[in-house]
This record gives sequence, C-alpha cells and structure tokens, in this order.
Amino acid sequence: MSRAQRARALRWLCTLTAAIALLIILFPVYAIIVGSFESTNTLFSGTFYWLPHAATLDNYRTVLGHPSAATQETVAGSQTGAVLTSLLVGLGTALLALVVAVPAAYALSKYRLRVTLIIVSSLLVAQIVPSIVLATSLFIVFHWVNLLNSYPGLILADGTYAIPFAILVLRAFFFSLPNELMDAARVDGASEWRTFRLIVVPLSRSAVITVAVFAFLAGWGDFIFALTILNGAGIEPITLGIYNYLGNYSTDWGAVMASAVIALVPAGVLLVLAQRYIASGLTAGSVKG
Amino acid sequence: MKTQVGAEAPTSAAAGGDSASPSAGTGSPWRLSSWRKQQLAGWLFLTPAIAYVLFAFALPIVYNVMLSFEQTSPATIANFTAPFAGLDNYRFILHDPTSRAAIVRTLEFTFLSLLFQFVIGFSLALLFSLRFPGRTLARSLIIVPWLLPLIVTGVIFRFLFQAEGGAINQLLVEVGLVHDPIQWLNDPNIAFWTILVANIWLGVPFFTLLLYSALQDVPLEVREAAIIDGAGPWQRLRLVIVPIILPVIEVTLLLGFVFTVKVFDLVIGLTGGGPANATQLITTWSYNLSFQVFSFGEGAALNNVLLLLALVCAPLYLWLSRGSLRSSRGADR
Repeated sequence: MSRAQRARALRWLCTLTAAIALLIILFPVYAIIVGSFESTNTLFSGTFYWLPHAATLDNYRTVLGHPSAATQETVAGSQTGAVLTSLLVGLGTALLALVVAVPAAYALSKYRLRVTLIIVSSLLVAQIVPSIVLATSLFIVFHWVNLLNSYPGLILADGTYAIPFAILVLRAFFFSLPNELMDAARVDGASEWRTFRLIVVPLSRSAVITVAVFAFLAGWGDFIFALTILNGAGIEPITLGIYNYLGNYSTDWGAVMASAVIALVPAGVLLVLAQRYIASGLTAGSVKG
Repeated sequence: MKTQVGAEAPTSAAAGGDSASPSAGTGSPWRLSSWRKQQLAGWLFLTPAIAYVLFAFALPIVYNVMLSFEQTSPATIANFTAPFAGLDNYRFILHDPTSRAAIVRTLEFTFLSLLFQFVIGFSLALLFSLRFPGRTLARSLIIVPWLLPLIVTGVIFRFLFQAEGGAINQLLVEVGLVHDPIQWLNDPNIAFWTILVANIWLGVPFFTLLLYSALQDVPLEVREAAIIDGAGPWQRLRLVIVPIILPVIEVTLLLGFVFTVKVFDLVIGLTGGGPANATQLITTWSYNLSFQVFSFGEGAALNNVLLLLALVCAPLYLWLSRGSLRSSRGADR
C-alpha cells in the first residue's frame, strides 16, 4: 500500500470510529422517537423493534388529549397544558436571567466597583451548589412567602440554573467591547442607562441570545424544582408530566415516550436554529467560568 | 477561545484604569461627578443580581444549615423555625444505613463516572481533532445528549434497559452474549452499573467538547516541533499535548465532579433510587427524607454533607478561574 493510500484508509477508519461513537450517542434519542410511534401492543410485546413497526399516532393522540378507541385513558391526561406551562416557565426563566444578568455583567466588567471580586467569586461558587440543597430550603421559604405552586416561585427557583452562568458568560463577552465606545457616548452626553441600552445591549446581541437560549432550556428542562415547589396542584410542566406517567409497577410507555419526544422539541429546534450560540456558550461558560 | 478571553480581559481592564485615573485626579467638577455617577450606575446595575443571589443562594444555604440543627416535623414547616435539635440529625445520618450507603455510593458513582467520561471524552476529542470526512457533522451532533432535559434522559434509559423488550437486552441476546435477559433495573447488584452507564453517556459529550476546544488551542508549531524531534504519538500526547491543555483538563474534571455529585433527575427517571434503595445517591435519598417522609431536618443534614463535598472544589475552582478573577481585581484599582 502506498503512503497516500494508507493515509486515506486511516481517514476512513476515523470516520468509521466517529460514526460508531455517534451511533451510541444518538441511538437512545432515535429509540425514543421510534418508540413514540409504536402501538401499545408492540411496546408490550416483549420485543424491541429496531425499525418502526406498524407506526401509529395513537400515543400523541393520548398525550395531546384526543383519546381514541385504540388507547385507554391514561392517569395523567392531556399534556397540552403541560407544554404551554413549560413554555411559559422557559420564557420566564430566560427573561429573568436577562433582566438580572445583562446589567450585572456590564457593571462587573466595565465599572470599577469594590465588590466585583467578591461577587464574581460568589457566582463561581453558586454554580457549584447542588439544586437539591436549594430546593429543600426554598420549599419552606416559599411556603412562608406564599410562592409555592406559583409561576413566579418556579421561575425564581429555575433562575438558579441560569443566572450565575449568564452573568459570567456575558461578563467575559463585555470585556471584549472597547471602552472607547462607552466613553464616546458619555462625552456626547448620554446617561449611563442610555449608553447601556443603546450602545452596549445592541452590540452584545449574540452573547445575549446564547444566554437566553440556555436559560430557556434550563427552565424548560427543570425537574427538581417542579417536583418540589409545585406539589401537584394546578401547574404541571412537561417534565413533571412525564414523571407522573411513570407508574411504580406498570408504565404507559406509549404516553411516556410521546411526552418525552414533545419535551425534546425545543432542544431540537434550538439545535438547528441556534447551534452557533449553543456551542459557543458551552465552551465559554464552562471553561472560562 | 478561553485563553483569548483570559488574555484580553486584564488588558482591557488595565486600559480602563489608565484612562480613568487621570480623570479622577484632575479634580474638575464635571469629571468628579461623572466618576460618582458611574459608581452609582454600577451599583444600580448590580442591585437585581445582588438581591437575587442573596434570595436564591445565600438564604437557602443558611436556612439549610439552620434546618439541619432543628427538630422538624410536618407541622413545623409552617413555622419557619423548629425546636433546636443539636446534632441529632447528623447522628441520624451517620447511623442510618441507607444514608451512609448513599454517601459512599455517591463517591463511587462520581469517581467511576469521571474516570470513564474522561477516558472516552478525551479519546473522542483526539479523534475529532484529526481530519476525516464528516467530522464537522459529528462534532455538531455530539452535543445532542446535553440538550435533553435530564428527566427525559433517565426515562429513555429506563426504556432501553427494560428486562423484557429493552433494546440493550435484545442486542445482547441477538448477538449471543447472554441467554437470559439481564435485570438491569430490578437486580440490586446490577442497577448501580445501569445508572453509571447512563451517566457516562450523559457526560461524554461535555468532556469531548471542552477537551476538543482545548486541543484546538495547541499551536501547530509545537506539535510539528515534537514530530521533528522524533517523538512518537504517545510521547507527543503525554509530554507535549497534555501539559499544555492541563488547565482545561483540571477545570473539566472539576466541573464534571460537581455535575455528577448533584445528579438527581437521571436517577429518579431511571430507577427512582430502587430497587431496594440500591441506587440511592445523596441527592435522591435527601429528597426522600425531606419530601417523602417530611423529615426536613434529616434531609438538610444530608444536604450539608453534599454541599460540603461540592464546596471542597470551590477553592480549587476559584484558583483555576483566577484569570477571570484577576481581571476583576484589576478593574478594582
């Protein structure tokens, strides 16, 4: 074999290895999408079908609230409301993260304040705190201030996933904005707030989108706070809906998988639309903290 | 990417300091008031964040410590405080076999997860930094597991690991590796390995992505120089590449540790801590203590063990992030 041939063979070997790795990484997602279109009979037949087998929309009809004759009623009922709830929680978390994080990150990067070091350190440490610790306390605190079972309560709790991360990522970004921009606006007589709103925010669109995407996914995918702060009455996001479908002894797999696939939709949409922001956010946020 | 940010930050902060110090020194009224105005604006911009951190982080952590010394009951939840219990809750944690097992299991789970995630993630990162057809696509698809809600991941694996009709057993039987289906979720001796496999799957993309981007920052000249000096691939990896990306490896392992130690949704979705508490981790057992049996004091004590474990990393994390911290000190002056 010539040198060039060997190099080519090696390249294809790499492709093959990568393909196998991707197969393992993507297979679970594939399996649940295929499974969500299987009939209850197929799912309980004791055989796993690698390819779609007698596809049906029954599971989606069940979880979206149009029970057909073929599927029995499930315990938890329709998930349509749950999808809307999750959307609201995700958008609320994104909004909260932006309102809190964008000005804070700006102050922490462009103003010489005495507290900067302390606050940045606290934010780094805050990222480490396990959510179950916060959830246990917040349950009682929220009970005390009447925020249990409410959207504001859940969104405030979900902010803990997003806000420290958001401030640190945005702060790193703001460092890259030249100070001359702000100085020029100030010399022209713009107030600090106007400078921030009309110069800084528009220039940081990409970082702001990254942060908003992550905060939305955090709110959409949250389970711990939904499980603890919403104790069953009224508000039910999709993650909790899926959990409620999981029985202790028998699981309605069709309904579980159709709900799970619905819960994947935003991630899928964002992966296609905002891939650039997601990849940059992952590396920037994690490595630079 | 990260080195750029780290390198840029101090310079811009230093430049800010240089341009501002003469203005503060001239004493002209306009400039002085502008300095005051900026301090005030800075504090106002920070106020929501400070309020949020105090309410959503500081208060719960302090309250959790308080709870762990209180004798709680379902009735005391309404009162915010309960009678002082001394060290009773911690004594309970030390003597309760399930709590002790959960603590040990969390450590084993975390150690084994990190080991496999790192080895697999690093191998994939090395693979992706080679040139081969389809690598861009492969790189962009690998983050998929990271975008799924964690409870969904747990549920997916619960489906795949079913004894009857689960894909894993089916594959093993079809290939001929096993005759009888393995009780992945129902055998207390096996369930631990099931949650471990699922968690490794979950963490590999994170390791791959971060280590890959670190490998991209190793200068080409360095790698070429090592080749010219006659270093083999293994030597190049061990003596040249690993030392250069060591800081990123450290941060990645540290964050991996923190993520794994707090895993909750995945286990709840996959096994719910069962069978027979064989997969209870600190998080799931603490949830059980607080929210199933309403012993918030005991749950809080266990939480503090977890918090302690996680916060052991804090000084190390701050030290590894000193680049971004130093720039804040620069901005202070």
